[in-house]
Amino acid sequence: MVNFIKDRSSRWTLPADAWIGLLVIIIAVAVPFVIQSRYLLGEVILALIWAGVASQWNLLFGYAGVFSLAPMAFFAFGAYATAMLSYYLGWSVWLSIPAGAIVSIPFSLIIGLACLRLEGVYVALLTFAVAQMMYLLIVTDTGCFQQIGGSCVQFTGGATGFSDFGDFGMRPLLHQYWMIGNYAVVCCGAFLTMLVSWIVIRSPMGLAFRAIRDNPGYAMARGVNRFRTHLLVFGISAFFIGLLGGLYAVHFQAIGPTVFSLSQLLFVIASVVVGGVGSFWGPLLGAVVLTGADEFLSDFGEYRSLGLGLIITAFVVFLPRGLVGEIVHLFALWRRKRQSHV
Amino acid sequence: MLDTVVTVLTTGLTNGALYALATIGLSLVWGSMGMFNMAHGAMLALGGYLTFTVCTQLGLPLPVAVIAAVAGGALFGVLLYLVVVQRLLARSTEHFETSVMIATAGISIALEEALLVAFGGQPLKQPFTVSGNLHLGQSVVPLLDLADVVIALIVMGLTYWFLSGTKMGRAIRATAQNRDAAVLMGVPVQRIFLQALAISGALAGICGVLMSSVTQLTPWFGDDPMLKAFIMCVVAGLGNLPGAIAASFCLAIIEAAVEFLAGARWGFPALLFIVIAILIWRPAGLFGRSQIRRL
Repeated sequence: MVNFIKDRSSRWTLPADAWIGLLVIIIAVAVPFVIQSRYLLGEVILALIWAGVASQWNLLFGYAGVFSLAPMAFFAFGAYATAMLSYYLGWSVWLSIPAGAIVSIPFSLIIGLACLRLEGVYVALLTFAVAQMMYLLIVTDTGCFQQIGGSCVQFTGGATGFSDFGDFGMRPLLHQYWMIGNYAVVCCGAFLTMLVSWIVIRSPMGLAFRAIRDNPGYAMARGVNRFRTHLLVFGISAFFIGLLGGLYAVHFQAIGPTVFSLSQLLFVIASVVVGGVGSFWGPLLGAVVLTGADEFLSDFGEYRSLGLGLIITAFVVFLPRGLVGEIVHLFALWRRKRQSHV
Repeated sequence: MLDTVVTVLTTGLTNGALYALATIGLSLVWGSMGMFNMAHGAMLALGGYLTFTVCTQLGLPLPVAVIAAVAGGALFGVLLYLVVVQRLLARSTEHFETSVMIATAGISIALEEALLVAFGGQPLKQPFTVSGNLHLGQSVVPLLDLADVVIALIVMGLTYWFLSGTKMGRAIRATAQNRDAAVLMGVPVQRIFLQALAISGALAGICGVLMSSVTQLTPWFGDDPMLKAFIMCVVAGLGNLPGAIAASFCLAIIEAAVEFLAGARWGFPALLFIVIAILIWRPAGLFGRSQIRRL
């Protein structure tokens, strides 16, 4: 019964997705012309990065049913790989960002081989522990790898991380409009991420993800290998999350162990939960709404994370469908009501 | 050589006793209602800060402060049930495990931030302390560690007595074994869930006091022990209390040995590799009954 309803809704959303996508692209192109403030544009860039990460986490959790708490571990891996390749080897960031994204894949597969044999909360726990282990190993790294001007640089950057390893080169190109250049680059990255999410969700692969989530027994009986499918979605999401991590590191020209903090992870999860778990446009809407709320809460300084925590809990308890889910639900109710009148 | 063994055993047994208290609290809630309480670490911090407030700031005697921590933890557990868990349980059993985990993670960060706003981020000194050392040959064992272990063992004994000897404890164990059968036998499972969370909160309160006495009191000091306690729960098999206690002691001693031999930063990675190896070998944990899951 549930599957039947889902089938109908997917047939209905196919043209709708195209219209919404067009609208989103128009807004994305219009943003740099409308927003003059460099600070606000920076906030939009941040929202786009989180929207991309959230859409990949939604692919993992909302569609494939893998409750991974390691998205920030892959994000950090991509970001650190980009920073380290540029810092130590002097690579151009245009080369080290894709390289960082690519090396995120084998990294995620190793973690996946260890964690994905299990299910549900076990996966959540182990992936969370892996992220925490990476954080602890980076912060406690004290061995000198390089001496630069009397100060000591640890291999992993230690508690301070890396900075000044290169940028997009937009300043000499666009002068005072360099932020718009950064916006364009990040926008392309986020667009690519969401496009691939959409293709994966609509492809036979996406059907396999959902089959395993909805009815693992039946899916396995029809020859879908749960472990291999979950490993595949883990690798795909790690590539794009790593890519966004690299873009984040280069945009801010700095990366440090704070990306591992619980509030960053909760921001990604909250974007998906607020937008709607398992709805394609949910993470984008959630990330934009939450960045706006974060901006509003930052006037209250120290209550920022407190508000974030309460928002997550309130949505899980009172609005489990999320914003997009509620809109679709209300629309369906309205249609049914209209049909019954006719 | 003997010094090394005594040092490792002291650290291992002290941490083991404290982890065991934390794992009991987690395991009780998991066993009875299948809930992973991500806010447990923040509840440990709540207990520690309550003792600090009542004893250091209000100047009341220490036993009153510890009782306040236990009562505050229990009250928080009750609130958590009434505001969050009850509604999620009523909605769906299918997504309960994941949604309660996300909801309690939100509660966790909110509570920690509230403590940060109220007390500031600088580490505070826990008033519960015992000075002096015990000399064993050439090695030194702090009396505070001994006191912590003794109190933890007493609390564990009380919990054991409560679960095995009282009617309420029997009802909790019945619900954990088979919820449907317990409902059919007239066990009010809603009330049992409430009681389990209240007891878990009370255990978190006392555990927070003991834990912050050997480290320092910060709003997020409970996160790291909570994660390790989760790992120990999983190694033992979720919901198995005696197994959880045994796993806590064993893993804490291993952790202490690794930290002593290879440096403090390798303790947690070692634990993680052990748990992954054990879970690949036995997916239900060491003492967990492997169950046939209906798909």
